[in-house]
Amino acid sequence: MNIRSPHLDIEDLIAEVTGQAIDDRAREHLTHCEHCRAEVNRWDLVASGVRGLAADGVHGPADARPGRTRRTRQRVLAGPWRRTMLVAGSAAAALVLLVGIGAATGYVRISGDRTQATLTSVPGCTQLEQADGILQQVNGTSLVIETTSGQPLTVTTTASTFMSVSGPLLSDITDGASVEVRGSSSEGVIAGAIVTVGQPFSAVNFPGLVPVRGTVSDASAAGFTLVTSSGTRIPVTTSGDTLVVVPHASPSQLQGGISIFVLGQAGPDGTLSAKGVAAIRQFRSGGTLHVSTSVRDCSPSSIIEALGAVGAVSGSGG
Amino acid sequence: MNDPHAAIFTAGQDGACDDAELLRRIGQGQESAMSAFYREHGRVVLAQVLLVTGERVLAEEIVQDTMLAVWHGAGSFRGESSVRSWVIAIARRQTRDRLRGRRLRVVDDASLADQPSSGPGPEVMALDRAELAEVKGAIRELAPPHRELLGLVFGSGLSLPEVAGVLEIPLGTVKSRLTAARTALGRVLDEKGQNR
Repeated sequence: MNIRSPHLDIEDLIAEVTGQAIDDRAREHLTHCEHCRAEVNRWDLVASGVRGLAADGVHGPADARPGRTRRTRQRVLAGPWRRTMLVAGSAAAALVLLVGIGAATGYVRISGDRTQATLTSVPGCTQLEQADGILQQVNGTSLVIETTSGQPLTVTTTASTFMSVSGPLLSDITDGASVEVRGSSSEGVIAGAIVTVGQPFSAVNFPGLVPVRGTVSDASAAGFTLVTSSGTRIPVTTSGDTLVVVPHASPSQLQGGISIFVLGQAGPDGTLSAKGVAAIRQFRSGGTLHVSTSVRDCSPSSIIEALGAVGAVSGSGG
Repeated sequence: MNDPHAAIFTAGQDGACDDAELLRRIGQGQESAMSAFYREHGRVVLAQVLLVTGERVLAEEIVQDTMLAVWHGAGSFRGESSVRSWVIAIARRQTRDRLRGRRLRVVDDASLADQPSSGPGPEVMALDRAELAEVKGAIRELAPPHRELLGLVFGSGLSLPEVAGVLEIPLGTVKSRLTAARTALGRVLDEKGQNR
């Protein structure tokens, strides 16, 4: 906090924009202060400009490429997907900066544009394979997916397999559930853009969207009441565009038709023993899914973080 | 919603131990470690230098010189800062040396200093109206010190104290210059808006 001003210090604002930690007091202030949220949005725009320029410097102007995110005039968190795309665009620029010149063999790269082969090796991780497809059925702890090549693939999971589910999963927001809500606030009401159900997950971290933690009460299709640890009750509205992320899910929570991304080890019987699974419920059917993510190395924690992020930034095309 | 949702996630910069190990191996003359270091930091350094110089070829040369300096000086890294801060500071010195003698746009301390205002001025309103492409264009027109600062803060993954370390100025000065950089950016946007 700024001792000379009731508003946040620039260091807090920048930390928020760049995804660094800010203290609880600052976060609480940001939740209720329109002025500071506007400042975060302004700095976020500057940051996007810098990252965009950096990406242009490597690959040429992003604006010349189709399908790239462009900031619209209405920039104040008007919709979760626009916001998510902005974040994704920034992250993309950051990735461009990070992967290095030449072959990025030190990274796991996952591309799920529905044109991939059945099982794809992961460069730099000799024990790791990637697969993606559509879930056909769940047999206990095993998943049967139809891969992009049209072939069925059995994915086995264990209790230690990381599994995230995300999408318009409002039914997962139930009374008593511990949640973390990100969204815009107006007159004491939060318009829920992203709701993380269960334990907070570091991969679900969108700069500019202030998270508020609490317990769900009075859940309905239109929203719920968030009860914070201090007992404060905050109305939260939800809609069909609200992204719900369940970072620690189980196979029983998966339904047929959901998009599946898997990282794991290929077994001799043709199955894939999953280290991590990201399940993504499309917001609209029939869209083309484009998801790409990278992790730093082949470690379990990196796999979890990357797949968790896949779930957190999933979306649909029309 | 017709946009194809492309989402790319990059893991946080949690590789400090790996970086230090890389530098140790570079100090032993292991070329593979140098390659790994280049992959890890090359793009960030290139982007930062490019932001300052605005010249791709020159920026690439500076990055090469920077990596050469890392190759020869890895043993001098004492761990007092992050490796990312260290290599960017080297790149900054290389850039300064290469640009020495060129006629650069002079920016005095007054224009780099904080310029507080009592309310949302035209610069802020211009920023509120701006689109991303306009902001990118405006950043290109900023003075090099402003571009450098914005690149360090938003493109390099450094914290503000780390940026202060790289620039060898107090944290408070970083903050005030950051505010001034945004004001300058808003001014460029405002001028462009008035000329449309």
